[in-house]
Amino acid sequence: MDENKNQTKKSLNEIVAIVYITKDNAVFEKKSDFLTLTLTAPNEEGVVETKTYERIFLHRAFPFDNPFSYISVLDKDNKEIGMISDLSVLAEEDAEAIRNELNRKYYTPVVKSIISMKDKFGFSYWKVMTDEGELSFTLHDTFHSLMKVDGGSRIFITDIDGNRYEIPDIEALDRKSYKKIELFL
Amino acid sequence: MVEKQWYFDPSQPAEVPECLHDVLEKRGIPLSEIKLCLMTDLSPDMVRCDCWLLATDTHILVICGSMMLTSPQSRKKGYTPDRSFAEISYTVFELKEFAEFFVEEQIASIRLTAKRKEESTYQLLLNGSNTYRPSCQSAARFLKQLVEKGEIEPDKNGNKRDEVFCPKCGTRYVDKARKICPKCMDKNKIIRRMGSFLLRYRAHMIMILIALVLSSAIGVLSPYISSGFYFDEVLNISGKFYGQILMVLAMIVGTRLISVAISMFHNIVTSVVAAKLSYDLKKTIFTAIERLSISFYTNRQTGGLMAQVTNDANTIYWFFCDGVPYFLVNIVQIAVMLVIMLVMNPLLTLLALITVPLVFISIRMLFDKMGKLHAKRWAKSRGMNAILSDVLSGMRVVKAFSKEKDEIKRFRKSSLSVAEAEQNTSIFATLAFPGVNLLFSISNLIVLGAGGWMVIKGNMTYGMLLTFISYMNMIYSPMYSFVDMVSWFTDSLNAMSRLIEVMDAEPEVVEAENPKSLGDIRGHVEFRHVDFSYDKNRKIIDDVSFDLEAGHALGIVGHTGAGKSTLANLLIRLYDVTAGEILIDGINVKDISFEELRKHVAIVSQETYLFMGTILDNIRYARPDATYEEVIEAAKIAGAHDFIIKLPDGYSTMIGFGYKDLSGGERQRLSIARSILRDPKILILDEATAAMDTETERKIQTAIERLSKGRTTITIAHRLSTLRDADKLIVIENGKMPEAGTHLELINKKGIYYNLYKLQLDAMKNIGIEG
Repeated sequence: MDENKNQTKKSLNEIVAIVYITKDNAVFEKKSDFLTLTLTAPNEEGVVETKTYERIFLHRAFPFDNPFSYISVLDKDNKEIGMISDLSVLAEEDAEAIRNELNRKYYTPVVKSIISMKDKFGFSYWKVMTDEGELSFTLHDTFHSLMKVDGGSRIFITDIDGNRYEIPDIEALDRKSYKKIELFL
Repeated sequence: MVEKQWYFDPSQPAEVPECLHDVLEKRGIPLSEIKLCLMTDLSPDMVRCDCWLLATDTHILVICGSMMLTSPQSRKKGYTPDRSFAEISYTVFELKEFAEFFVEEQIASIRLTAKRKEESTYQLLLNGSNTYRPSCQSAARFLKQLVEKGEIEPDKNGNKRDEVFCPKCGTRYVDKARKICPKCMDKNKIIRRMGSFLLRYRAHMIMILIALVLSSAIGVLSPYISSGFYFDEVLNISGKFYGQILMVLAMIVGTRLISVAISMFHNIVTSVVAAKLSYDLKKTIFTAIERLSISFYTNRQTGGLMAQVTNDANTIYWFFCDGVPYFLVNIVQIAVMLVIMLVMNPLLTLLALITVPLVFISIRMLFDKMGKLHAKRWAKSRGMNAILSDVLSGMRVVKAFSKEKDEIKRFRKSSLSVAEAEQNTSIFATLAFPGVNLLFSISNLIVLGAGGWMVIKGNMTYGMLLTFISYMNMIYSPMYSFVDMVSWFTDSLNAMSRLIEVMDAEPEVVEAENPKSLGDIRGHVEFRHVDFSYDKNRKIIDDVSFDLEAGHALGIVGHTGAGKSTLANLLIRLYDVTAGEILIDGINVKDISFEELRKHVAIVSQETYLFMGTILDNIRYARPDATYEEVIEAAKIAGAHDFIIKLPDGYSTMIGFGYKDLSGGERQRLSIARSILRDPKILILDEATAAMDTETERKIQTAIERLSKGRTTITIAHRLSTLRDADKLIVIENGKMPEAGTHLELINKKGIYYNLYKLQLDAMKNIGIEG
């Protein structure tokens, strides 16, 4: 019965155990802009093999709480190769490359202050100062475009194009800026 | 800064901006060789700047830098400011080096990458914020054409550029299809639009206005009778009516009686209008909401919508029935009394009004503050309502995990913040009143002093002074009410703008204006390269194509969340495809009227919704004119007749919220009966039996088999046994269609379907049933 079950699982191409990627089983290499990964790990049949992935994609499991821990590493078909439990388990230069790649993927301008905000008919028009300079964007259904994280002190704004902006600490905004966003908190 | 002229179609060579001409000239590249020009806002190093990707027949140029204005900005129509370009980087790639181009979607940005032909490495070409995704996607497509065919083919639909900006102010349209710039709509327009809505009540409104004018006229008259006239003409020996106290008393009583009669009349008219108007508004809002596409509801919490319908209707009604007439009368009253006061004593009037500018400035400030407080209170209470409806509809789960305490806590927190916001609002109002009051009393003192001095000097009679003071106090009370008016006004404006938002929200799925008729429908269904995504971040359906002959059965297999049900929703146009087309008998579903489409296509899904009412009503929902025989017959086919007939009230049993609770299987059979009655040519069975026990499932299966005879049937299931009769199967995985064919073909292919099949077979073996 148990064996049957195992076979069933295998034929489903399901891996029960998560493969954790560490400096002991993985080599990252940068090839023309992108990272490749050579990983020694059990494959779907449970046989240990070494395989090279030409392109890898990174995805945070807990993007807000733990941006540099529990990183899912995916292949080009969006299938998980394994997870990095924390950047500290990697060799230093690999960790740096991964950190770099993550920062790029999760590119989010940080809002320093809100220059102006106009709310009309369910849309709101914002002009903000960010670490990337002055940006303007439009939100639809403002209340729901603000994602409140960390008990509401950290805000992620998603505009109508799908761009994101972060306010790391709403309390740290200057009073004038705070007043402009207060209504939607 | 993102500007209007830079949202362009990358295939239009003429669009190379002037400021780039120098850059190209310097490299000796003639403008005419540029086949494609794409702009984004993030460099390959993820630095925000102005980036271009230009392509010639042989090369790809990536230019990054910043654009600078060299002439002053102006809002004039058709004005394009001069620009210069400061180059930061310039990279050239050989076009023939690459085989494929992709737009990779990141969290809030995209990147355009290219795959090399020789080695399987990739090259990053450009990054961009999500704003540029559509143009990058076209660019990737065009680049591929350029590599493969040496030229760019214009799109079949024509490379139409979407007008995405309001021509008046340059603001981006929030909805390309809507072409309404919210920025250019002003508050006066809101009031005008609401006003036109209220025009149908003009007779009532005029009556209210007349009543108010009359009562204020009497109000103006009475101080004169009871003070000026009484003291100077009746009590004064030299007066014309000296000693006729009784006559004055009669006059006072008379005016009182008239004013009581007028106010009664006013109240009656108001109550009549109140009920009608409130009903009318709610109906308007409900109709507006009902008309919208499904996606409107998924974007907003239903609780918020409910609050919107009831609260806003009341607020708006209130504003127009009480607020506006009151406001108008107040203004008239102030004007009339000002004239009287000026005639009586101009100097004293000026003294009395010394504080008016101060009052108005402070009212102006109150206006702003009050508006914010009200909007905040509204937002909070909307949040609270959402939590309430959230918990109530999820009560089963709350109980199952015994999270009652946490839910109470969550609700308490939200309700507390509502209370706080309410408290803030009313505390502010309480503070605002005495503040303004204080200003008024200052001028009262001034008039008392100056007027007293005038009486002593003999410039004014005692009666005149008393009358003057009564008028002064009367002029203050309408002014005073403006402070309160402020909060009514802001409240109502908020409510009205929300109402207009709902009324203006265009349904995303729009019915064809001149629908084509299906005529005698055969039921041939074809999906051609269908793409669909709910939001811009994720493709739910990615290039699905299949062709289903009339009367044939199609099975759709796939994991939960693979996008199977979405295909059904696309066919009946709950959503519209983002690319590709769906055809019924060769006609695009977009060209078929909703009525005809939904008459011929029916869905039986796992989610059965029964409305409050009798079983008969529920079965007849699809065809209210069906006869009793037809209803019974449909119920019999659906296997529902037997249980219905056992109910005490038979087909007249009340079901739905608060009434008889039917089991899942019973509800399912009712909804099948509903579909049978509809007699659709195309039937979609969306996991219709997934939640049933085997016994019930078999009953429903039989019902469905009877139902699907002679119809085109699309069955969505993850239990493959349900699909044994399908003529053709398609496998959906992550929105794509990796496999299609008959059962045998797919088994021989040894792919996803084979694995699924083997898995379910194994599961059967496990419990001792040999496949």
